[in-house]
Amino acid sequence: MLISYRWLERHVDLSGVTPQQLAEDLTLSTCEVEGVEAFAPHLSAVTVGHVVTREQHPDADKLSLCTVDVGAGEPLQIVCGAPNVRAGLKVAVATVGTVLPGDFKIKRSKIRGVESCGMICSIRELELGDEHDGIWELPQELAVGTAVAEALGVADWVFEVDNKSITHRPDLWGHRGIARELAAIYGRELKPLDTSLPAHGDAPGLPVKVSAGACARYVGLAVDGVQNGPSPLWLKLLLLAVGQRPIDLLVDVSNFVMLDLGQPNHLFDRTRLDARGIEVRLARAGETITTLDGEERKLSDADLLICSGDRPVALAGVMGGEDSKVEGDTGQLLLECASFDAVTIRRTSSRLGLRTDSSARFEKSLDPTLPLQAAGHLVRTLQALQPGVTLPSAPVEDGDWSDPAHVLELRGARVRRLLGVDLSDERIATLLTSLDFGVERAGEVLRVRVPSRRATKDVTLEQDLVEEVGRLYRYDNVPERALLAEVAPPPHDARRELVTRLQDRLAGGAAFHEALSYSFVPDALLATLGLAEREYVRLVNPVVDGERCVRRSVVPSLLALLEKNRRLRADVRLFELGKGYLPERSDARGLPKEVHELALVWTRPKPGQDARFDAGLLAQLRGVLDDLVTAVGYPAPSWERPPAELALEPWMHPGRTLVGAMRLPEAQQWSLPIFLCELEPGLHRPLGLVNELAGEVAIARVSLDALLACAPRPSGYVPLPRLPGNKVDVALALPVDVPAGDARAAIEQSGKGLVREVELFDVYQGPGLAEGRKSLAYHVLLQSDQKTVSDEEAHKFFKRLERAVGELGGELRKE
Amino acid sequence: MEDRLNELRAEALARVAAATDEAALRAVDKDYNGKEGAVTLLLASVPGLPPAERPVVGKGANVLKRDIQGAIAARKEALEQAAVEAERSGAGFDATLPGAPQSRGSLHPLTQVRREVEAIFTSMGYAVLDGPEVELDYYNFQALNIPADHPAREMQDTFYCDREGRLVMRTQTSPVQIRAMERLAPPFRVIAPGRVFRNEEQDATHEHTFHQVEGLVVGEDITVGHLSGVLKGFLRRFFLRELEVRLRPGYFPFVEPGFELDIRCPFCDDGCRVCKHTRWVEFCGCGMVHPRVLDAGGVDPEAWTGFAFGFGLDRLVMLRYGIDDIRHFMGGDLRFLEQF
Repeated sequence: MLISYRWLERHVDLSGVTPQQLAEDLTLSTCEVEGVEAFAPHLSAVTVGHVVTREQHPDADKLSLCTVDVGAGEPLQIVCGAPNVRAGLKVAVATVGTVLPGDFKIKRSKIRGVESCGMICSIRELELGDEHDGIWELPQELAVGTAVAEALGVADWVFEVDNKSITHRPDLWGHRGIARELAAIYGRELKPLDTSLPAHGDAPGLPVKVSAGACARYVGLAVDGVQNGPSPLWLKLLLLAVGQRPIDLLVDVSNFVMLDLGQPNHLFDRTRLDARGIEVRLARAGETITTLDGEERKLSDADLLICSGDRPVALAGVMGGEDSKVEGDTGQLLLECASFDAVTIRRTSSRLGLRTDSSARFEKSLDPTLPLQAAGHLVRTLQALQPGVTLPSAPVEDGDWSDPAHVLELRGARVRRLLGVDLSDERIATLLTSLDFGVERAGEVLRVRVPSRRATKDVTLEQDLVEEVGRLYRYDNVPERALLAEVAPPPHDARRELVTRLQDRLAGGAAFHEALSYSFVPDALLATLGLAEREYVRLVNPVVDGERCVRRSVVPSLLALLEKNRRLRADVRLFELGKGYLPERSDARGLPKEVHELALVWTRPKPGQDARFDAGLLAQLRGVLDDLVTAVGYPAPSWERPPAELALEPWMHPGRTLVGAMRLPEAQQWSLPIFLCELEPGLHRPLGLVNELAGEVAIARVSLDALLACAPRPSGYVPLPRLPGNKVDVALALPVDVPAGDARAAIEQSGKGLVREVELFDVYQGPGLAEGRKSLAYHVLLQSDQKTVSDEEAHKFFKRLERAVGELGGELRKE
Repeated sequence: MEDRLNELRAEALARVAAATDEAALRAVDKDYNGKEGAVTLLLASVPGLPPAERPVVGKGANVLKRDIQGAIAARKEALEQAAVEAERSGAGFDATLPGAPQSRGSLHPLTQVRREVEAIFTSMGYAVLDGPEVELDYYNFQALNIPADHPAREMQDTFYCDREGRLVMRTQTSPVQIRAMERLAPPFRVIAPGRVFRNEEQDATHEHTFHQVEGLVVGEDITVGHLSGVLKGFLRRFFLRELEVRLRPGYFPFVEPGFELDIRCPFCDDGCRVCKHTRWVEFCGCGMVHPRVLDAGGVDPEAWTGFAFGFGLDRLVMLRYGIDDIRHFMGGDLRFLEQF
């Protein structure tokens, strides 16, 4: 909302208060002022000029050649195209060098061969209105050579108040409300404003009937004798300052009253209203009204209508109807000032997407005593401009309303306890009184009368009064205090700790980068991944239509990041720790099951022919996971092929997926918290990972919930060996289809308890080996706590291993 | 024989002096003191000498042997010294050669700053809580004194997850206030960092998904002064300097009185783009917990008072690193992520 400094001055003396100071004080005590700007700064840059002579331009019929006195030096020669320019006028002149709105800089120029040293401005060129039929004719009494703003006394400052900061304050939606705050802040008087209704005739008024609870009060007042036309300059300038376009006197005065007191109002052409009068009722479902903006609106039975007889003439509190609007020179008006229900207006306005200055105010629960005050203010404003304006009849009103003003008890002790400031009851009373609260001492408590303008919603509890005291005292003056209390250490949070350790390990040596991705997954991605048929928590109102599914798992969002990153980097490693939601497992209150997940994706080009046997990404990521799981406090998982009954995700490679099995604390119970796989081969192309971006893609998904349920690695340590071990290398030639796991088992068994470490360091197929054979080479450490492992012992190990390998269909390779 | 001894001495010592490496010294030692060495042979010949010569030659050869060994040791020492000296010169070292590349991952800047925030608060005795991102309307709004049709609902551009409006993407971390009160008995102090959602068009400063840190302290005589002390203390510690701060009225239905806390713009003295030329940057919304909210959490508002606050983590990260586009956070672009 925009607030004008000059407008505020109509209500409170602001002498000595700079606009910047005012903005700061309002911000610190009342509401947030987001900006302070000079109103129409170009009005200070244009000068009052006097057209001394006017002749026809020698070469153009429609142009005039003028000499204009601007109070300095010789009169200026200016070429002007306006039809109304004539000698003797006072005009607004932009001299050479002046910058007008739209960064339009005035230059010395030649127009049809004649030099022109400036521009005589129209109202539109100064952004004061739409009039562009001619130049702006200024009042004759203005002094030549002064700035137009100064000559007219219209220099003004505009404050932008953040609407959110006054959502709860219906009284601040007009200048008088803000002025009342300033009066309290500066300890000054609010200037009196006569809002009483002037004398009226005794003709019968137009009947008013309220037949819906959503209208607490409807006041109809007949007004006669208005000559519609342009508004006076002062009014136009006030409206312009707060961003309202002046239209004509009736619209402008109506807006003026709304922006002054905060009470929206509406003027009908009374000659176009049914003699049966006004009825306020709920719309019938499907009923329509064409609003002032020319749109036909289809209504529901929750919308409130103002009807003439039975014909809708206004969408209550939102916008007037097209066919009863005031047009031309109607002198017979009906002024509507009403109190509509905040919720009803808000629903209608948001359902129709029609937010107006009026609906914004009604939504805040306006003071029901305001309508009559607003009517008085409006009529008095009109009469001051046009003494012929009369009221033929008394106002007619209907509705079931009561004055919301009420009394609250306030304990001084409560104020001191909440604010932490030692304020006396007297001081509290003074602060409240300055804000127009009535205060009476009653023993230990203050009985505080809340005025109606603050009583509709805003101030209803004792604590609300504490706020009034605090903000006027200023929170900034509350001394900072240390928070003392006996505090026990926070409870252990295993998941939070796990998350931290996972993140640290991955971002360290594993060289994964942590990404965060949206909780909403695009439909297109889900379709690509074959996940469209799952159940999702779905947004009713997504930002983008195709992005309404809330993710169940983090993996799809990360897969979507691969292509763009692979374009940038050859090796892409990303992880994310996030939440997924499973609606089919909602709890009794309807909250979907929340799952916590770690997702890892890794892609890079395929390793070359001569790369080590474990250079492939599946082996690499498996190594990362072994390290990760161990580092965060669990035994390394046992990697297995997924059991046949386990459904794989469609993005998992059906032939290259492993599950990491881990023990649960209960004996013999296993859990599968980890999936490790390559990307389903058919998805490389849809995900854009082909041609120059082709490569291996490995994925892992770790359920944190399942991992946390697993048995942790027992804490403890292995004592250091006391006796030296014997390191030997063995190479096994085996049929290609014998799994490496069998070879390892053979080594361990052959050691008879002496095998401490086994490390596979080479896998080979090719020259030197028979067809269909592969060689697996291991470093093996034989060690015992009881004795030094002798060469003889090692020899026995080789003998046993030779037999075991033979059983696998292979043999030991000799060096 | 004495001449022979002198001859051998001169010859051996000259060779030691001429030796430039350890191998040469070992050769000298071998040639004189080895099994077949000249001095060794001389000593072996002593029994065959005339008795008168025996002591002289025997003693002389032993002295010679010791002297050669001494000279070798000294020479070896000198050579080592010279080698260290030569190494010290650093000859042949190219100071411009790069270091060996190490692979390294990264933690998201939001994670890093969140941890910093958590560390500061946990050091002050706060527990860190979590809450669901898909949340019941009850926790996100109703229990926070925002009943249906409250205008504040529109300030928040809620994503709804069902037509009945029962389930929403939480618009704030404040629902954790209620969950905390349900779980913990006062007095307590908690923070709850997390992801929140608003149905907003995205641009450089607006995201539909962003991050907040909620705080809630409930105790016997908690006042505005405590709120101010805690937040200022946090800011001092986070920015590692005294930052000018102001507390002004702000409206949030779940606090009364409610405030906004602004910090003096860290980037300018007289207005810039970050502070929209106001010299102040909004840091957080806060206030004394509304009695209805305490009630909803099962806490007696007469017995206990409390304060709550909520601030944007994204804003803090942007301030810390000078990031000018909030969309980088959720963009998953390695060029961005790698920098942290």
